[in-house]
Amino acid sequence: MRKFIIVLRYELKEYFTNKVFMILTAMLAVLGVILLFLPRFMDMSDFTGVQIAGDNSGQEETEEGEKDTFIYLDKAGVVHKEILEGMFSDVIWQEAGDETEVAAAVEAREAAAGFVVTGASEYEYYVFNKSMTDRNTAVFDQAMKLFYRMDYCSRTGWDLEEITAMYDVPVTVTETVLNKDSESNYWYCYFLVIVVFMLIVYYGQMIAVSVTNEKSNRAIEVLVTSTSSDSLLFGKVIAGAIGGVFQMGVVLGAILLAYQANREQWGGMLDMFLHIPAEVILAFTFFGLGGYLFYAFLYGAMGALVSKTEDVSKSVSGLMVVIMAVYFFSLINLMDVDGKIIRILSFLPVSSYSTMFARIAMGTVAPWEILASFLILAASIAGTGLLGAKIYRMGTLRYGNPIKIGAALKDLKKSE
Amino acid sequence: MKLEVKDIRKSFGEKEVLHGICFQVESGKALGLLGRNGAGKTTTIRILMDVFHADSGEILLDGTKFVPAKHQIGYLPEERGLYPKRTVMDQMVYLACLRGMRTKEARENAVRWLERLEVGEYASRKLETLSKGNQQKVQLASTLVCNPDIVILDEPFSGLDPVNSQILKDVVNELIGDNKLVIFSSHQMSYVEEFCDNIAVINQGKVVLDGELREIKREYGRNRLMLAAENYSMEALAEKTRREWDDCVSIVGQKKEFLILELKGDTDRRRFMERLVRSDVEVEKFGGYEPSLNDIFVSKVGEEI
Repeated sequence: MRKFIIVLRYELKEYFTNKVFMILTAMLAVLGVILLFLPRFMDMSDFTGVQIAGDNSGQEETEEGEKDTFIYLDKAGVVHKEILEGMFSDVIWQEAGDETEVAAAVEAREAAAGFVVTGASEYEYYVFNKSMTDRNTAVFDQAMKLFYRMDYCSRTGWDLEEITAMYDVPVTVTETVLNKDSESNYWYCYFLVIVVFMLIVYYGQMIAVSVTNEKSNRAIEVLVTSTSSDSLLFGKVIAGAIGGVFQMGVVLGAILLAYQANREQWGGMLDMFLHIPAEVILAFTFFGLGGYLFYAFLYGAMGALVSKTEDVSKSVSGLMVVIMAVYFFSLINLMDVDGKIIRILSFLPVSSYSTMFARIAMGTVAPWEILASFLILAASIAGTGLLGAKIYRMGTLRYGNPIKIGAALKDLKKSE
Repeated sequence: MKLEVKDIRKSFGEKEVLHGICFQVESGKALGLLGRNGAGKTTTIRILMDVFHADSGEILLDGTKFVPAKHQIGYLPEERGLYPKRTVMDQMVYLACLRGMRTKEARENAVRWLERLEVGEYASRKLETLSKGNQQKVQLASTLVCNPDIVILDEPFSGLDPVNSQILKDVVNELIGDNKLVIFSSHQMSYVEEFCDNIAVINQGKVVLDGELREIKREYGRNRLMLAAENYSMEALAEKTRREWDDCVSIVGQKKEFLILELKGDTDRRRFMERLVRSDVEVEKFGGYEPSLNDIFVSKVGEEI
């Protein structure tokens, strides 16, 4: 145990004295916090739908200055300017004398857009550069439909308000979700599955490279004669886990806290990603970390099978296929978390880290199922740890060509 | 302490690479493991260090089974290597702690050994910034940082310049003087001759010669003489020896400065000296010949290294 702690401390120092690691962690956290604090310091109401709190008069003056000017020509005599002003809230409408004036104003950038209404249900649209997010015609379409209805009702003597009220009857619904609300849980579940996938692949690769480095710089022979391979591999993997949890924890923690502090300013629009219930975070912590450890030991063993860092990706490719398959299957099945296949997969250690977690977040799962799945995962972690240490021990002093995992297992069996 | 290696056998796959290795070594003495590349020296050492398991045979320390983990062993592997990106001090303390030392003691020892090996100023530098020779010295300091009772050095002089070799020689002599048990593998005979009281020559996985070096030399030098003349070239002297003294000596070797002769049958040194004095040879060099380790090795293994 003492030697494990010595290895752990040494490996941890590698992470925490690594300037790139620490600066990247701090930068990601600060960047996340800055982005989430933005609505406090600048008007993002277009995006968030929430006006910044403060002096309204000054704000109005500022906004007035920032409003776009649109120009229109009403040849059909159907346009109601006040309705246009209501539907385009950030636009100053200006009426033109003829079509040439509309085109000239747009071309000279005096107006951001121009409309020439040629009939009760026809108009022409002028714009200098049309952006991908240009929704002016969609809104103007709605305005034209309203003008048409108003014109029709006035001609026929119908009451527009009465007809509108009849078509758009307000319906009140009182929703009671007795178990899980998949609609609201889906996105953060999706987000966390991606997070754990990245954690496994990124840190797993780092562990494999670190083991191969010890082999390629020949430090391994001194190490394996100084302590057990169990201490070496467990120390390395657990240090990687702590490094990973620290980095993810700092970045995610900063983002979640910053969002909590600014949730009102965001109008709750990021709730689907960042307003995660405590029990889901708890399940993610246990199963995510468990899955990470399970694969990290295998990554360590794969790293020991090659002698050059450039061969690491080849060595871990089989593992990557399994991880990718689990990842895509988990994402696809988030729509049906109570399905038979995902239930089976939620007990397998290769996939329970994401599938059981998804079931907990979005589906119906009994406590015994969670416990059984976690125990299987924990036992598998111990198993892969010990197997990984044996492969590591066997592979570390075999330099030269990469060793295939099948051959490594065969040799292990033979040596026992 | 007395370490005994008894009948060690080891196969890799179908091929047996060690065919019953035996030798022994005691504290305060150094054993030189000699052999050509691929003879089995490193495999033997790795078995000693429990890196590999022997298929059969046993290793005893003072009569009981030798378990490396229970002893302080300083091991300098043939495949050198530490962490290039970490500081010298960091990794020395790490390795010492892995071998059971407390951090404070490990740090003090690291400073002491780095100073002793004249690389103290590099303690806080990353290993990769040091020259190859200094990296080698750091590796040796890492080997000794745990105050080992048993020191196993696999080709310790490879890569060292003459000045650094001298420092290492002094250190090895100190270790022997401190009653450490030293096992020394090399194919550089001159170094082995300097330190080792005992040798074991391994050839193709077998010990072909072992024992006390002085005795081995005496045995190999028995009945052998060296002869050089002022008035004969080496070739002429050899020709004369074959022509006139063939009944009492034979030429078994030739060095740059003298011939090596072996007395035949019941001929003794006195009788040959009388023949020599009666001849026209003006003797430049004459005496008993003590073979070098290299001579012994060549005669046993068959090829010059």
